[in-house]
Amino acid sequence: MIKRDFPTFLLYVFGFLLLWEWLRPVEQLTDTDNIETFIIFLIVAFAGSYLRLKWIWQLLINAFFILFSVNRLYYEGGFFQPDWLNAFLSDMTENLGLIFARNWNDLTDEFRTILFFVLLWLMVYLLHYWLLRQQRIFIFFFMTLVYITVLDTFTEYNATVAIVRTVGAGFAVMGMLTYFRISMREHGSQSFSMKKWMVPLVGMIAFSVLLGMAAPKAAPIWPDPVPYLTAAKGQDGSDGPGGISRIGYGSNDERLGGPFIGDNTTVFTIESNGKHYWKVETKDIYTGKGWVASGSTPIDFTKADLVPVFSIPSSVETRDETARITSVKESSLIVYPAGIQRFIEVNVPERYPIRIDTTTEKIKNLKTNGYSVDFKVPRYKAIDLRKPTGFDPTVMNQEFYERYTKIPENLPARIKQLTEEITAGKTNWFDKAKAVESYFGNIEYTYDQKNVALPGEEDDYVDQFLFDTKVGYCDNFSTSMAVMLRTIGIPTRWVKGFTGGEFTEYTQGDESKEIYQITNNNAHSWVEAFIPGQGWVPFEPTKGYSNGLSIDYTSGETTSRTQTPAPAPAPKPQKEEIDEAPAKAKDSSYDFTAIWSAIEKFFNNNWLSLVVWFLVIAAVVWVLYRIRGKWVPYIFMFRYRFKKQDDTIGTAYLILLKQLDRYGLKRRENQTLSSYARYIDSFFSTREMTRLTNSYEQYLYHQTLPKGSWDDNRELWENLIKKTIA
Amino acid sequence: MAHEHMNPVIDQILANIEKVMIGKRNVAELSLVALLAGGHVLLEDVPGVGKTMMVRALAKSVNAKFRRIQFTPDLLPSDVTGVSIYNPKEMEFQFRPGPLMGNIILADEINRTSPKTQSALLEGMEEASVTIDGVTHKLSKPFFVMATQNPIEYEGTYPLPEAQLDRFLLKMKMGYPDIQEEIEVLNRAQKTPPIEDLQPVIDLDGLIGLQQEVKEVFVDDTIKRYIVDIVNGTRGHGSVYLGASPRGSIALMKAAQAYAYVNNRDYVLPDDVQYLAPYVLSHRIILKSEAKFEGISAEEVVNRVVARVPVPIRRLVK
Repeated sequence: MIKRDFPTFLLYVFGFLLLWEWLRPVEQLTDTDNIETFIIFLIVAFAGSYLRLKWIWQLLINAFFILFSVNRLYYEGGFFQPDWLNAFLSDMTENLGLIFARNWNDLTDEFRTILFFVLLWLMVYLLHYWLLRQQRIFIFFFMTLVYITVLDTFTEYNATVAIVRTVGAGFAVMGMLTYFRISMREHGSQSFSMKKWMVPLVGMIAFSVLLGMAAPKAAPIWPDPVPYLTAAKGQDGSDGPGGISRIGYGSNDERLGGPFIGDNTTVFTIESNGKHYWKVETKDIYTGKGWVASGSTPIDFTKADLVPVFSIPSSVETRDETARITSVKESSLIVYPAGIQRFIEVNVPERYPIRIDTTTEKIKNLKTNGYSVDFKVPRYKAIDLRKPTGFDPTVMNQEFYERYTKIPENLPARIKQLTEEITAGKTNWFDKAKAVESYFGNIEYTYDQKNVALPGEEDDYVDQFLFDTKVGYCDNFSTSMAVMLRTIGIPTRWVKGFTGGEFTEYTQGDESKEIYQITNNNAHSWVEAFIPGQGWVPFEPTKGYSNGLSIDYTSGETTSRTQTPAPAPAPKPQKEEIDEAPAKAKDSSYDFTAIWSAIEKFFNNNWLSLVVWFLVIAAVVWVLYRIRGKWVPYIFMFRYRFKKQDDTIGTAYLILLKQLDRYGLKRRENQTLSSYARYIDSFFSTREMTRLTNSYEQYLYHQTLPKGSWDDNRELWENLIKKTIA
Repeated sequence: MAHEHMNPVIDQILANIEKVMIGKRNVAELSLVALLAGGHVLLEDVPGVGKTMMVRALAKSVNAKFRRIQFTPDLLPSDVTGVSIYNPKEMEFQFRPGPLMGNIILADEINRTSPKTQSALLEGMEEASVTIDGVTHKLSKPFFVMATQNPIEYEGTYPLPEAQLDRFLLKMKMGYPDIQEEIEVLNRAQKTPPIEDLQPVIDLDGLIGLQQEVKEVFVDDTIKRYIVDIVNGTRGHGSVYLGASPRGSIALMKAAQAYAYVNNRDYVLPDDVQYLAPYVLSHRIILKSEAKFEGISAEEVVNRVVARVPVPIRRLVK
């Protein structure tokens, strides 16, 4: 049919480019390494198909390549040392068992790699089929575009260039296929040459791509569809410009502000002695609109190791505690108390590398229903906390200090002025911080979740809250305090996590612990200031909250729970808020809901399998569609078996006509049913079609049917349908 | 089809005709269709192929009065319709009915006579009555004319006016018998013609009853639509100067009803319409001269139109 000439080669190249686009994001978004192996495999498979090697050669070459790659990636010894094969085969058998047990998560990487190879192999065959047999590629091209745009929208994958590549390759291949189809229809008469077709085609593609790149792009209608979608899912509607966020833990804090609504869904239950704040992550760069992390420094540790977060210095008096955290659903959102030592009783293998990003102190790759932690609860001495009075390069790294005191260059100067006024007369860092913390107890500032402004393009988030609106929730308070301290040179960072939750009951058993329930409403943010010799000391600027930190203000006689002594006596409305605080919706807003973040996590974690599933399902659907002539009739036969009315023949007969048409026995438009029936009968050597057609003609042209005729007609009808399936 | 006809008379009539006619079953059938539908037939053919025999057999089968008019250039209208003659004994004019006053008339070579005489015949066919000297005479019922005309290229003919052609329900050709059939014709010619032995199978009242039953054959709306689509198709066709009129649609429907009846059905199928369309429509359209020069016949045009109209295969959505 089609020669193995240069145009065919071009088709293969474009097919390969399109398929490559599916592989590119895999590398970036999943833990898949060595992606080049897969790309080389694609080239090998395409080459085999292009050179029209005998299928047995293609099979051997591809299989050899797969085995060789698996050997190279997963086995130490060389390919020709036979002992790896045994290990390989036993691994395969084991994994096959896992598949039948539907234990997808336990499949080894090696096996997944093989599956991925097979999938690619299938895709190469499908592309070959689409390009050379079907000569239609639109669906695949379209799916590629959808895939890329969805990834661009919902993940960090940047498809700016990919979309241009895909459009170029896709249109080129569709244009060429159109040429082939047309020249095929003209029975190969070369009425117009390939060149005459290709030159304008290339010109048009180049022109439209360039035009598309150069043309001004309209601003997106949705600033970011993700929060929009989330808001649209909210229960109480989601009106208003800017949208209303739902409370819960979210990881994007680049743009803080705006109202949110409460969500009383329980996220964790925690068994512990006393109430603690639960950290998830910290952020260190304030942008003027929100917080971002300065980078990413993942470190692996096992559960035997100490958790590599900044620990409480030994100079601080501590006591040891353990707590048990149980998630409602399996979750990769890991909370831990400040002063964490180790993860214990966590359901991972002994040597499992738990990954933490030490910049944000966020646990990355743990997905579990529950775990216990060992941690230390500090008891600070005020006398020690008050020691540091300024930056001292001998006790603190210069770079570290700069990182945590950095403020945006265009931060309004009045923030610093205000901070200096508040801290006037205080000499040390701790007292200054305390002064700022208590400043928010001032009656001017109101805690509210609803009437909270979203800073405009020109506004600074902190400045707007401190001087203009003075209404806000934890993000406003905590960010303001962190930024204010930074203006006077005290290193701070912004912490996100959950408050201690609501006490429900005591556990059973001897060592009775308290059980706290933590809902999405308990999502919170607060401040940690770095005090040399004391480590990161938490502060709680948000009105109506207490972090339960114990500080020994005298030489150890009085232990007070902070927050209460410091602020000015709170007027009534605030008291009410304090009472309501644990019970009702309040707390911080991280812009989207926990539901969304769960979806996002699920998406991120199960990426590859989702793609695989998608492709598998698409392939199955496609195959089912191709062979619909074989199975759709059974559905109809089953359905019509239960029909009783005689005029069922009206629809049944038309279905039969369609089925016969699919079978290849086409009726011409001007052919009467009886002459068609004679044709069908001569084809199958029966009289059934004529008899059935007689009935249908009575139904159609006479509007009457003998009573009970459907029984006979159904039999005729089924026999005929069966003939088309056989 | 021949079994268990709801009306055995139909089969018997056809059998009678077959006794005297070799082959040509379709011509016999179509003639019967025209008779049952109350229409007339125009046969375009050369002499000597057995038209007379067939019509006589038909007439005999239904026990009808058979008349034959041989049209010649000098034939006068009164020779066809009849004339009032003064009877001196009775002292008044007496009407002497012409051959048109029969039930089944064979009008041979009507294009040989003058248009005036042709009109007399055609008026009678259309109105079912003739007016002579101011008196209207009803023609007998049933009334069936089978006219023949020589192919018009022959010398000395007066072509029938186009407007009058559609007085005929069907126009057909008989054609020569094939070799086997013609040998059979010779065989029979050696014996006594069997026409004398034919027995009537129904009387005239019975025939009128049949005509009534034919009118009750069911025509579904989908079929009516199909008929109209076909007739309408002749109007827009590129080779056609003047398409078929609504009278053509009516004729096609009536013929289809009779054809369904003859074929033992009380409802019309698209097959009936397709089969009859060339016979009913070809003499009702006027081709453009270009088409005539190209040698396209009217039958061909009608067949092309039929091939373009999709057959209705599902109920109309009301």
